[in-house]
Amino acid sequence: MDSFLTSRVVTDVLSGLTNGAIYGLVALSLVLVWRATRVLNFAQGAMPMFATYLGMGLLSYDWPYWVCVGVSLVAAFAIGAVTERVLVRPLYGKPEINPIVVMVGYLIILEAFAAAIWSTTPRSLPAPFSPIDWKLAGQPVGLSPFSLFEVVTALVVMGAIVGLFRFTRIGLQLRASALAPEVSRLLGVRVGRMLTLGWMLSTAVGAVTAILVASNFFTGLTPQLMDGIFAFGFIAAAVGGLDSPVGAVASGIALGVVLQFVGDYLNSNAIILVALGILIVSLMVRPNGLLTRSAARRV
Amino acid sequence: MSAVARRGAVALGGLVVAVALGFALAPRTSDAVAVAAVAAVAAVGGFVGSLPTVRAEHPALARAMLTVVLVDLVVFATAFLSVPTDFNLATGAGMAIVLLGLSFLTGASGQISIGNGAFMGVGAFATAIWANHHATTPIVVTLLISVAVGALFGLLLGLPATRLRGPYLAGMTLAFAVAFPAILSSFNSWTGGDSGLQLPNSVTAPPWLVGLFHAGTPTLTTDTLWLTDVVMVATGVAFFFMANLFASRTGRAMRLVRDNDVAAELVGVALPRTRVIAFVISAAYAALGGALWTLLNNSVSPATYGFALSITILAVIVIGGIGTISGAIIGGVVYAYSTNVIAWFVARTGLNPQGNLASQLNGIIFGALLIVTMMFSPLGIAGTIRHLRQRRALARERR
Repeated sequence: MDSFLTSRVVTDVLSGLTNGAIYGLVALSLVLVWRATRVLNFAQGAMPMFATYLGMGLLSYDWPYWVCVGVSLVAAFAIGAVTERVLVRPLYGKPEINPIVVMVGYLIILEAFAAAIWSTTPRSLPAPFSPIDWKLAGQPVGLSPFSLFEVVTALVVMGAIVGLFRFTRIGLQLRASALAPEVSRLLGVRVGRMLTLGWMLSTAVGAVTAILVASNFFTGLTPQLMDGIFAFGFIAAAVGGLDSPVGAVASGIALGVVLQFVGDYLNSNAIILVALGILIVSLMVRPNGLLTRSAARRV
Repeated sequence: MSAVARRGAVALGGLVVAVALGFALAPRTSDAVAVAAVAAVAAVGGFVGSLPTVRAEHPALARAMLTVVLVDLVVFATAFLSVPTDFNLATGAGMAIVLLGLSFLTGASGQISIGNGAFMGVGAFATAIWANHHATTPIVVTLLISVAVGALFGLLLGLPATRLRGPYLAGMTLAFAVAFPAILSSFNSWTGGDSGLQLPNSVTAPPWLVGLFHAGTPTLTTDTLWLTDVVMVATGVAFFFMANLFASRTGRAMRLVRDNDVAAELVGVALPRTRVIAFVISAAYAALGGALWTLLNNSVSPATYGFALSITILAVIVIGGIGTISGAIIGGVVYAYSTNVIAWFVARTGLNPQGNLASQLNGIIFGALLIVTMMFSPLGIAGTIRHLRQRRALARERR
């Protein structure tokens, strides 16, 4: 039994789940924004990165860890709200490439400002729990207290978002504004506020992700922290379907596990190549994602 | 003697005199050819009719004439400019080709690619790899092979594009741009790993091409002026083809796809094929730009073709004017001179040139310009100029 738990396969599955939780969170934040406003947010990695710098930077002034996490989340809410109001709102109803380009510009500018203020030197964030794998009979299991914390955090955040959408009044209004803005407005939903709220939630989910990534991947916090992760998160969201939160999370986790095997049994360069291959094939088979009910486009 | 015949005789006579003068006076064959080409353009124009007539009745001819004259002027100018300036201009020209491809993709299909820096890298590495394995291949053939490889990669990534709408394609090309460095290092033995590749000294050009641009015998890989002129001519050819494509039946079909894909399908445009063709052409143009950069630098490094290049490409074409031909030229100039302008600005304001802010100024300015352009004038500099001219023309009519 012990040898089974420390076998290569089980270790890969466990490490894959940890990475997959991260991809799933990025995918979830992309889906939140896409459902609310039909914008694929290319700054989805950069906005939380900025919030994380603002919040976790307070660590150097000896603020307690969890307070810094709280400040990061508040900063993320603020950045999400301001971005939606100032940058995104004027673009509703414009050709679909306009918001794409604006968000790429926003990505450039956020990363440049972060590098100008905090420099490109990585900043190490303390992990709140030990990142060293548990051992069974002297063999690492592929799971550490911190990676367990990551998976649990991801599940809690996903559960909270799903719960919010399914079971609360606000969630109902959020869904209604995304599906039928005109009708919702007539029925008294403040649609504008709901769209802003969608962006705030998405950026906050992103901030949780960014903090986990910056403490876990031995990379530390850098302005380009989320570039690579964003690509994997997008692939997960596109494979699962940009309209489906559950699909995004599920395919994120699946992607993490598959890629862990690829990295272990082939090599680390093959990871992104296989991910790209999965994306191309799945888009050819199901352009709207594997887990969405395909809807006819209205003309 | 009819009027046409008289005009023709005058034009021919002028042509002969101009060619003779050119060969007698010009220092390099290319300059003589340039003079001759301008004279030929004038002669053809004189024979066919006045300039407005040519423009109205033979648009392709008019475009050819315009291309020849512009390329001539630039080739002439490069002989008198400093080596760094030449190099800078040629780098910008290579970028303009890439921008043209992206501009076409958006102008023709309403889609956008965030991965054209990677397609550029495909062309750049294809040139270096081929030249290292087959050093005797004439450089023109190597360039064409690189373009073909770029088109092949475009086809591979473009296949899903038949069924995709805007944001998915953009995301997929972004993933490609992020994956590109990993692709390069997966094939280390070919791509030279982190250090990249040098062009071998034995790379050759056909003698007529060397003779055309150089009086003596240049070493291909070190003669900046020669390379600059070759890049300029390639740019001219690329622009000429694209201008015709924009105006052709295919070009019209593509604009219809951009404006209303459902209507396009109803009038018989094959949507999937049109989308894929647009994407493949943009990839091929990017590959040509990259191939020329390799030629110009005499080497290729993987660091050049990272994710940052892809977003810079998007930024300069949007600022120049996406969907327009002139926007690609403006974008190329912006790209070529942005570093100089920013360095001047840093020196002027007394910022610490080694400081964080100075080193990030590029990103801050490009990012801000990108957002401002898209918010207030989505057609960029080229579109704004066109808009102003139309307004002036309207005002003149009312008067």
